Amino acid sequence: MSKKASSISANTPKVSFAARVKKDFIRNRSLYILVIPVILFYIMFHYKPMYGAIIAFQDYVPRKGISGSDWVGFDQFIRFFQSPYFFRLIKNTLLLSIYGLVFGFPMPIILALLLNELHHKKYKKVIQTITYLPHFISLVVVTGMIKDFTQSTGLITDIVVMLGGERSSLIQNPDLYRTIYIVSDIWQGIGWGSIIYLSALSGVDQQLYEAASIDGAGRFKQLLNVTLPGIAPTIIIMLVLRIGQLLGTGYEKTILLYNEATYETADIIASYIYRVGILERNWSYSTAIGLFNSVINLTLILIANKISKKVSETSLF
Amino acid sequence: MSHLNTKTIKRSTGEKVFDVFNIIILALLAIVCFYPMWYVLVASLSDSNRLMQHTGPLLKPLGFSLESYVSVFKNPMIMKGYLNTFKLLFWGLLTNIIMTSLAAYFLSRKGVLWKKPIMIFITITMFISGGMIPFYQNLQQLHLTESHWGLIIPFMINTYNMIILRTSFESIPESLIEAARIDGAGHFSILFKIVLPLSKAILAVMVLYYGVAIWNNWFWASTILSDRTMRPLQVVLREILMQNDVSSMTAGVSSGDVEAVGATIRYATIIVATVPILCIYPFLQKYFTSGVMVGAVKE
Amino acid sequence: MRKKRLVALATVAALLAASITGCSSSKSSEETTAANGSSGETQTAAPAEPASYPLDTDETLTYWGELNVNIASNYTSMEDTPLGQAWQEATGVDIEFQHPAIGQVSEQFNLLMSKQTLPDMIEYSWITYPGGPTKAIDDGVIIPLNDIIDQYCPNLKAYLEANPEIDRMVKTDDGTYYCFPFIRGDESLLCNTGPMIRQDWLDDLGLEVPTTVDEWYEALKAFKEEKGATAPFTYQYSSKGLTDYNPFAGAFGAIRDFFLDEDGKVIYGAVQEGYKNYLMEMNKWMEEGLIDPDLATLTSDQVSAKITNGSAGASFGWAGSNMGTWIASGQSTDPNYNLVPTPYPTLKEGETPKFGRRENNYPGAGSVVITTSCENVELAARFLDYGYSEEGHMMFNFGIEGESYNMVDGKPVYTDMILHNEDGLSITATLGGYTRANTSGPFVQDKEYITQYYSYPAQAATLDLWSATDAKNYVLPPITPTVDESKELAQIMNEIATYRDEMTLKFILGTESFDNWDTYVSTIESMGLDRALEIENAALDRYNAR
Repeated sequence: MSKKASSISANTPKVSFAARVKKDFIRNRSLYILVIPVILFYIMFHYKPMYGAIIAFQDYVPRKGISGSDWVGFDQFIRFFQSPYFFRLIKNTLLLSIYGLVFGFPMPIILALLLNELHHKKYKKVIQTITYLPHFISLVVVTGMIKDFTQSTGLITDIVVMLGGERSSLIQNPDLYRTIYIVSDIWQGIGWGSIIYLSALSGVDQQLYEAASIDGAGRFKQLLNVTLPGIAPTIIIMLVLRIGQLLGTGYEKTILLYNEATYETADIIASYIYRVGILERNWSYSTAIGLFNSVINLTLILIANKISKKVSETSLF
Repeated sequence: MSHLNTKTIKRSTGEKVFDVFNIIILALLAIVCFYPMWYVLVASLSDSNRLMQHTGPLLKPLGFSLESYVSVFKNPMIMKGYLNTFKLLFWGLLTNIIMTSLAAYFLSRKGVLWKKPIMIFITITMFISGGMIPFYQNLQQLHLTESHWGLIIPFMINTYNMIILRTSFESIPESLIEAARIDGAGHFSILFKIVLPLSKAILAVMVLYYGVAIWNNWFWASTILSDRTMRPLQVVLREILMQNDVSSMTAGVSSGDVEAVGATIRYATIIVATVPILCIYPFLQKYFTSGVMVGAVKE
Repeated sequence: MRKKRLVALATVAALLAASITGCSSSKSSEETTAANGSSGETQTAAPAEPASYPLDTDETLTYWGELNVNIASNYTSMEDTPLGQAWQEATGVDIEFQHPAIGQVSEQFNLLMSKQTLPDMIEYSWITYPGGPTKAIDDGVIIPLNDIIDQYCPNLKAYLEANPEIDRMVKTDDGTYYCFPFIRGDESLLCNTGPMIRQDWLDDLGLEVPTTVDEWYEALKAFKEEKGATAPFTYQYSSKGLTDYNPFAGAFGAIRDFFLDEDGKVIYGAVQEGYKNYLMEMNKWMEEGLIDPDLATLTSDQVSAKITNGSAGASFGWAGSNMGTWIASGQSTDPNYNLVPTPYPTLKEGETPKFGRRENNYPGAGSVVITTSCENVELAARFLDYGYSEEGHMMFNFGIEGESYNMVDGKPVYTDMILHNEDGLSITATLGGYTRANTSGPFVQDKEYITQYYSYPAQAATLDLWSATDAKNYVLPPITPTVDESKELAQIMNEIATYRDEMTLKFILGTESFDNWDTYVSTIESMGLDRALEIENAALDRYNAR
């Protein structure tokens, strides 16, 4: 903390740090009072239990607690790095996230923009409501449907055959697994994801459109010059947050969708932890892998934040 | 750029084509997105034997039967579950919105010395957590287990949501707030009288995000409440879904010779446990209309 | 109140001390168990005194255990079920039941373990406790029960003395008892899974029920060609409980997991020559379209759909939950629909099948322990011993006389309320409320239950047909590695199993050539198979020496 503070003071060497703290406190006292409950919340419910992360360096037994469990140093990490599956897991996790980012991330934005261009208010509302429905269907059901549609006699397979493809089980084909995963993700999340952008769109100043219109800008030009800049902060923040999740893909959808035939491309860090968890109940090992993920993710988000700060005005901190 | 210019000139026809195109694309998307919900609804109304034999897509109910709904409402936990869920929704949303706004407001202010350290202090918690056991033990130490408060207080702020809210607060013109400060308004009243009323759209998003999260919180609900009658609705749904589909994967715990809960009952439970939360959205939609803020911003 | 607590604590402490010293001799001899194995059995401190139920007490005990989903759809807690009521009434002990969320049992069990104060009794699959039951005692979770069973549990003690084979299963290598076990009390209760086939199709085609692999091939081919089946043989491949005992793998002499060879040594199936032959046969069947092409992704719903709507003609599954429902559903649209069980297939005509899915009498699930937090161990022990008494046996298996069963010719017969419920509840649901016969718990399961639970003649036929194997000689008994070894074993096997499952499917689907079989075997060996076998064999030796 003090290091951070000193770096701030370094920018303005003329006034002493203590004086600045004092001045800031006088000026913003009521603001700091406002944030006290927030700080307390984070201390009580995030920092207090955070010590649990150190079981990554232990051979943890829940009954014995952290103080009673044996210390093993970096053994759990080394085991993960030496696992025959290490590179495959990293590769699969990263590829899935990157594809998700490249193809999945823009989709809700595009939907929001398309909705924004609709003039029929009622139609717009109906489309909005319908597209957000799939988010609420339990993953178990949705993955069941996906498997149903992509098996050898499924609906999507039928379409593929009609287009000249060969009849086979698509979901058993490791080459198609990521496509199925990403497309179904978009299908399930596009409407829900667009809500945040719709809300941002409603905040764009109408006067700017009027001004642009007077300047003779068409709708496409208005989109580029008014709409996109208007929602850019939201897009950038969402992007930065998303980059911070690159290694954090959850296990639920994967374990419901993959099978032994697609392990090759489907098995990701989270599903590996899940299997280890069932077979070994090894809390320390999964915590260690989780910590490894966190460190990578934290690094990624810091980099993303730095870039975003340089390129645009928006940043996390 | 020249390409753009030609478009601008022909904009009336070009725009018309685009409008038609847009309507069609969105309609197709809506059909595809509507299907899963339709499937669940139709399956829940089907005859259970015929549904069992069915493979492939479903467009209308196979036979018609309300039997599954009758048995779902016979489940003793459904009605209690509804009550618990609504109670949690009310208190949860209230605390969520207040606490998240406080944090977001503080972090959206300019010229505050400790803002950045505090932001880093908060962001770290998105990445490093102690895991389930310390979290649970912490709740026990704070006497938050066996109580609905244990499902509300520890989840008051979701950092992700808070950052979104902050981003939105930042876009409110600084001049408005400065003017109020000069008029002698405190931060608390600025937040509630100026900032929040200007942020209805993003608040609607927050209500939706938090509301859905509360609605779907089944894990901690079933973990900290040993009294099954205190558990929210989603726990019932979760139990019914999990029993059929994951027991085979978590092998070893049970032998596997467990009669599956009928598929129609499963789908009926999904409908019963999902439809109420779906109804929130249409009510919130009106806050997404463009230009809500403009009138207020004008001085 | 406080004083009473202290007294109780002191009693527990004394008891604990006694039991620990009682075991210490056997604990030190852990490495040399083979030499003096049965040290645990010799200590009979005081004779067991029979209790008179209901017990005279006003204490309340806490009991943690899974609530089966079939019960949960009608009752909020074990407390509300007729059985829960009757159990408390008969024993005179008030119980506070605690239930984890269904489907989250192991997660919530782990959280429970982190609590300072545990419930008095915990029902769980204790052989799956990381490190085994011995570790649970070392960790200070549960108390050893040798002295307690001797003193307070005449019923369980009598049962175990009368059944030495089961007695061997329910204790640790050093002879420590740790739970009130769930026991499948009859051979016919162990083999509830097997292959089945459409009898009406066989009749139409003039075929006999297949018994050899070749006959199966013919039958499936006929199903495909003449009945238009798109997936002649289908089953829920993703279910570990099923695929570990794939009937065709068994026919070729090697199931995929560990089993015992002819000399009684543990070997690993997935690297045997027989397993390769099985995979080659399956690959052939797959290419000819005799096995479900969607094998890897089948959910239980899809299997049910295919077997009942004519896409498939044969399957592999449970007699109770699968066969019964499938026959009912199939007949609702096609009155001729009929499924019959087939014997486990063999390579040659007339052989006795080597494998078949067969559970141990002590499957592990549903065993109840007394925890270190329990202040009145005697009361808990007597409460749990009730399940093994004559009355308790009837209650757990058949429920309440006059309500859920009646005695007819000296045999308990379920009433119509159970079998043909007016409110349309399934047998599973009604049995769930009144008994624990179709789930598990601290009692001995009675075979009279299963004959009534199986309502179709085809289901009843499974009892003889599916148990007619030599599986008993080849299936591993419930062996437990030592605390340190269990960890190592789990690590090795986690990696091997992932690789094995992936390759098995690739061989069957034909995406991996059999030319790579040797690489496959050597990869598994390089992952530490020898060490795993060493651990398993050592555990088996200790088990045999119990």
